[in-house]
Amino acid sequence: MRLRAVLLVALLGAFGAWGVLHAQKPFKEYPGFEYTNFEVPPDANVPHEWTRARLKYTQYGGGGFGRRGFGGGNRWTMDYPRSDRHLLPGIARLTRIDARSVEQVVELDNSDDIYNWPTLYGVEVGYWSLNDEEARQLREYLNRGGFLMVDDFHGNTEWEIFEEGIKKVFPDRDIVDLPDAHPIFHTLYDLDHRIQVPGEAALSNGVTYEQGNNGGRDPHWRGIYDNKGRVVVAICHNMDLGDAWEHADDAWYPAEMTGLAYRIAINYFVYDFTH
Amino acid sequence: MFEFLFKYPLSIYRQGTFIFLAGWPLWLMGLGVLVAAGVLGFLIWRQGSGSSRMGVVRRASVWVLQTALAFLLLFLIWHPALSVSTLKPQQNIVAVVIDDSTSMTTDDENSTRKEAAEKVLNGGLLKALQEKFQVRLYRMSDHAERIDKLEQLTAGATATHIGESLKQVAADASSLPIGAMILLSDGSDNTGGVDLETLSEIRRQRIPVHTIGLGRETMSRDVEISNVDVSARALPESRLGATVSFHQHGYTGQKAKITLREGSKVVASQDVTLKAEGTEQVETVLFNAGDAGVKTLEASIDPFPNEENPRNNRVTRLVNVDPRKPKILYMEGEPRWEFKFLRRAVEDDHTLHLYSILRTAPNKIYRQEQEDGKQGLTNINELKDGFPTKVEDLFGFDGLVFGSVDAPYLTKNQQDMVKQFVDRRGGGVLFLGGKDSLSDGGWAKSAAADILPTTLPERKNTYSFAGADVELTPEGRDSLITRIEEDPNKNVERWKKLPYIRTFQDPGDPKLGAVVLANFVPREGGGAKRPLLVTMNYGRGRTAIFATGGSWRWQMLQPLADMSHEMFYRQLLRWVVSDTPRHITGSTPKSLLADESHVKLRAEVRDKTYLPAGDATVEAHITGEGIPPEVVNMTPEPLEQGVYGADWTAPKAGSYYVEVVAKRAAEELGTDTFTFRREDGIAENFHVEQNRELLQKLSAETGGSYYKPADAQKLGKDINYSQAGITVRETRDLWDMPAIFLLFLGIRAAEWLLRRRWGVI
Repeated sequence: MRLRAVLLVALLGAFGAWGVLHAQKPFKEYPGFEYTNFEVPPDANVPHEWTRARLKYTQYGGGGFGRRGFGGGNRWTMDYPRSDRHLLPGIARLTRIDARSVEQVVELDNSDDIYNWPTLYGVEVGYWSLNDEEARQLREYLNRGGFLMVDDFHGNTEWEIFEEGIKKVFPDRDIVDLPDAHPIFHTLYDLDHRIQVPGEAALSNGVTYEQGNNGGRDPHWRGIYDNKGRVVVAICHNMDLGDAWEHADDAWYPAEMTGLAYRIAINYFVYDFTH
Repeated sequence: MFEFLFKYPLSIYRQGTFIFLAGWPLWLMGLGVLVAAGVLGFLIWRQGSGSSRMGVVRRASVWVLQTALAFLLLFLIWHPALSVSTLKPQQNIVAVVIDDSTSMTTDDENSTRKEAAEKVLNGGLLKALQEKFQVRLYRMSDHAERIDKLEQLTAGATATHIGESLKQVAADASSLPIGAMILLSDGSDNTGGVDLETLSEIRRQRIPVHTIGLGRETMSRDVEISNVDVSARALPESRLGATVSFHQHGYTGQKAKITLREGSKVVASQDVTLKAEGTEQVETVLFNAGDAGVKTLEASIDPFPNEENPRNNRVTRLVNVDPRKPKILYMEGEPRWEFKFLRRAVEDDHTLHLYSILRTAPNKIYRQEQEDGKQGLTNINELKDGFPTKVEDLFGFDGLVFGSVDAPYLTKNQQDMVKQFVDRRGGGVLFLGGKDSLSDGGWAKSAAADILPTTLPERKNTYSFAGADVELTPEGRDSLITRIEEDPNKNVERWKKLPYIRTFQDPGDPKLGAVVLANFVPREGGGAKRPLLVTMNYGRGRTAIFATGGSWRWQMLQPLADMSHEMFYRQLLRWVVSDTPRHITGSTPKSLLADESHVKLRAEVRDKTYLPAGDATVEAHITGEGIPPEVVNMTPEPLEQGVYGADWTAPKAGSYYVEVVAKRAAEELGTDTFTFRREDGIAENFHVEQNRELLQKLSAETGGSYYKPADAQKLGKDINYSQAGITVRETRDLWDMPAIFLLFLGIRAAEWLLRRRWGVI
């Protein structure tokens, strides 16, 4: 009888664990790098057809001080959640995407949660540090049909760190420049002529770039294709779309850049839906 | 026993007319019965009124018995008899028709059926017949042929057509006094039985057909495939199901293997456990249709070592794998994951040509074409105005998929076109769940509401962003749409293990004729089970509802190697379009002619807008192995508008290729091709058990009798009674039959026993 009870408890426990692993997690807000107490909109928990996830990655060096450790390990929260809360309602307003008003934070934690959110955004990926297991899960996520857009990393050093991580994910796939004629620039808006979208700090210095002496001067629109020729990783290097969304309601941030940042996001996400 | 009690065989009673020879009116007998009943009643009442032992019930019982006796006596006084028509000796012909097909060589342990027939005839029956009649011998195959002596029988004919043969013999009766037919056969008819026309023709001539059943009614050790049902047309690389029906004797509970072969290549096999003796067992074997072309598919069950007739273990069918690529238009109202993952699921299906229109913004659409894994529009102007507004444009597609699209997005005319797309065009439409789909999208009040397989709920807010588990229904278990595992039981389990769907929508209740293949069960809130996947045929086409926009989790929440999501959507979309006809549809009722040569060709012809074209010129161009090409004009079928038919005879065994060409004046309406095959020497391998039911029915319907070989000698006497040929009417007394004597004794004995029991003797 006791054996039966033990087996039953074990079975229920295993089933519960399986359920937790397979069920999608509810919305949760984390303290951010810049915003620690941002107001949660009242409809945050209202489910919608589409939710854009934000990648919570392990930071290079685990945080601490110095260039690579700066930020205490939460670089993934850069502009968060203000940029998300500006961008996502904008997408809902400008397109027919039924977008949730808030983001969903996901991790490469070896659970199944990330697979519930097939559209993923990673910021400051020049600071990420993917271990082999995380890289394996991100590869599986992308191969199953997930889409990753990365943004807000600048210059050669951050590129190398990003590249080191993404090469763990796709060792055999090249990172390529996306031509102006690529469908990703034409899904909803025709974006043949794009300008560099700068971050707040660059603008305050009167320029549109960061790390100008370290390869950060020119924006690069890059991507990684899957076996079918679809962009599955969209790479926005030497630009800061996140800041443009974040400061969309600031009068000093150039409207032209905000508009482009929104249009790029919309085009990229519509591209994901259509390819 | 019947003949002992009633003096004559049952057949005489069937043929004869009951009469009274006394010549007195029947009302007089009725009056006599009434008088007798009255007198008896008076006497019995008076007699018993003083006795306490003879109560009312007892007196009534005695009165009934005595009245019955009085009636019986009056009945005999009126002199009952049968008036029967009998054949005049030496003036009539009796046709003896002997089955001469190869099934007559079947060894029924002691002798072959041919030997059994000869034994019956030579054992006295033929002699008895010849003493009274002229006897004509016929051998029967797919026709009747006169023979002079039994030695001419070979049991070598490759077909048995009982109806056709009897019709031929009956035709002789128009010029000859044929008084009766005797059919010696195992009843193994290759055409499926005797048609009503033949039966009525024989009945009209009043010729009794007496049958002598030969052979065992069940085999001791045999497995026989009775039918193989497989789609005559298929799309390349599509998954098909061959439904194999079979029965067995002597191998209950044993394992057998069903194998499907194309030439020498095994395309599928399945192990089965044989069910109870004589039970019709049906198993579906799945296989891949392969490349385009005509496939000769053989279904077989491996013979057992001691099987009596291994020749009936294999059946051939033709499958025409059509090289066409059906076009599907997917209209989606919002960018969403279900749109993305549906398109990805079918992108490697090279038989489907998928177009899509996606509403990206309130005033913008994004058009795509997906063929052979390639993206991008071949024609930049394709669908540039969105959903087609002209019938010709919409009917250029074979199937439609509506995602989260509200009905008012389409005009009333477009909605009506969607309905006609199914009803008249014969296309398939799939409706997906979504926040703007079904009820929430106003489809319940749309012009296309009729084609939906469910009656949509009147309310809104039927779409839920909540998880639900999916389970197959018994129909879903057998459906090819939902078969993601070969083994049906594993398939059911596989569906149980699928990740939950992200969203669900209440589609309402299934309409009459709709089939629910899967249900969803909400994971939270204790919601009731509701239909998830429902299909229905409507008009010439078909529709389905897949009431979710969240099946994409099957792709994202399962390992990359798992193909269940891809397989499901490919099979669902193939179902949507696989039976969508073109302007011209050529066909034949039987694509395999087993020892037959006659073939009926049929063509359904529609114009550009798929209206029946009754004024077309239709030709069938037939080519076959070793025969010159032939052109057959097809003529309109009287009762079916736009349908044309022709009869043709395949001169020899082999495969035939038919191209139907339809024109209206100089305009070519279209072409279609189909194939059929004639095979000789196989029909007699099947149904070798005696078909007693057929023989009994044949004799009963014509006024004859069925005999076992052991009783066949009685025929020499019974055959005299017939209404055909040259006859004379005779009367047969009935008053002296033992049954009446026994009835008389029975009534008296009953009264005596009752009185003894009551103590009033």
